[in-house]
Amino acid sequence: MSITHRQQEGFTLPELEFLAQSEPITIVPLYRMERIELVGGPIGPFRPPQKTSVPLWLAVQLKQASRCRIVAPNWLSADHLQKLVRKEEQPYSRFTRLPTHYLEIAHILLTCAEDDLIEPQNIRRLLQDLREVRQGKVRQGLALLNPLQLQMDNLSAAEVNEIRPVFRHSFDMLRQLEALERAATAQQHETQPMEDMADDPFNSSSFYPSM
Amino acid sequence: MAQRDYYDIDDILAGQERVPCLLRVDLDGLGTAGSGTSKVQRNQRWALPYWMGERLDTEGFIEMSTPAVFSKRANRMYAASATSMQLRAVSPHYYKFGLQLADIVPGLPAVLRSMYMERVQKIAQISQQGQNVEGLEFVQSLDRTETLVLQKCQAAQGAIAEWQHGAAYKLNKAGVF
Repeated sequence: MSITHRQQEGFTLPELEFLAQSEPITIVPLYRMERIELVGGPIGPFRPPQKTSVPLWLAVQLKQASRCRIVAPNWLSADHLQKLVRKEEQPYSRFTRLPTHYLEIAHILLTCAEDDLIEPQNIRRLLQDLREVRQGKVRQGLALLNPLQLQMDNLSAAEVNEIRPVFRHSFDMLRQLEALERAATAQQHETQPMEDMADDPFNSSSFYPSM
Repeated sequence: MAQRDYYDIDDILAGQERVPCLLRVDLDGLGTAGSGTSKVQRNQRWALPYWMGERLDTEGFIEMSTPAVFSKRANRMYAASATSMQLRAVSPHYYKFGLQLADIVPGLPAVLRSMYMERVQKIAQISQQGQNVEGLEFVQSLDRTETLVLQKCQAAQGAIAEWQHGAAYKLNKAGVF
């Protein structure tokens, strides 16, 4: 296929941004409009100054045409992010709950709707801190890797995309090594005389991966 | 049986690594100019590339033994200080070669796994912290498989940073012009 190596390994970030734009967001429209039926669902009616929920792509378009004001989602405030950072920094904690596309939504809003956010510089700094702490935890997860299963809850889409190439490589390597180990132990048990097997009927080392 | 891709360049290069072999038959006509005769006696030690050694071993002409890279002494040494080992000096195809040899060297997969897990963590740490002096030395000691992992890490990191600064969409003029 004629796609680049980076595209083969997962989503590119502009693609993730595009996918994130179907998330709903609250806006305050600045003009009146009747309800319209789109393929993705109905939009409207717009009755300023009432708030409505629209998909992010529409919110961005309207904002760039100066026809609405965007209401920041409640997780995108300096206070909430500060609380999350403190919660993440606690040792042995799991990943905190964040929207799946939080990085992309934050980026879009910081780019086109900066005036609708409170303290955007603070928000940028806190997002960076949050990302660093979570990356540290991801590295700890890498240490616990085994070829069967690794569960990391509450990772966002962009973060999963970031670790996909490395984890894929590590999984492959571990899987190959484990298959070789299992073949070696199976061979060992074949060459053992049958009495050994009969003595210990619960000897299951040839059935489970040796960890 | 270790998975070997016939067309994979890295597998081919890894199979080129030398393995010590013991000759089991007399050979005629392969003597070098320096040895004076054209016969090669049996029980001579030769270092053959693995791909050749494996075939001749199954046919019975030679007997392969564990190369020094994976000897017990070497494995103990590596296990003691996995992250400070200069793998590129030892063999730039350490992991691939190890995967190919895993059938004949007992206990090799466990050694490879512990080495890999420790070093991969350090690679992830370095790529997240950006380049610094001790990191540079470690990066230069990585073998090919690990260099690939490092590049993937750095590309993924760089992609997010680049996108956050708005450079992901930029069309830049090519350097040729």
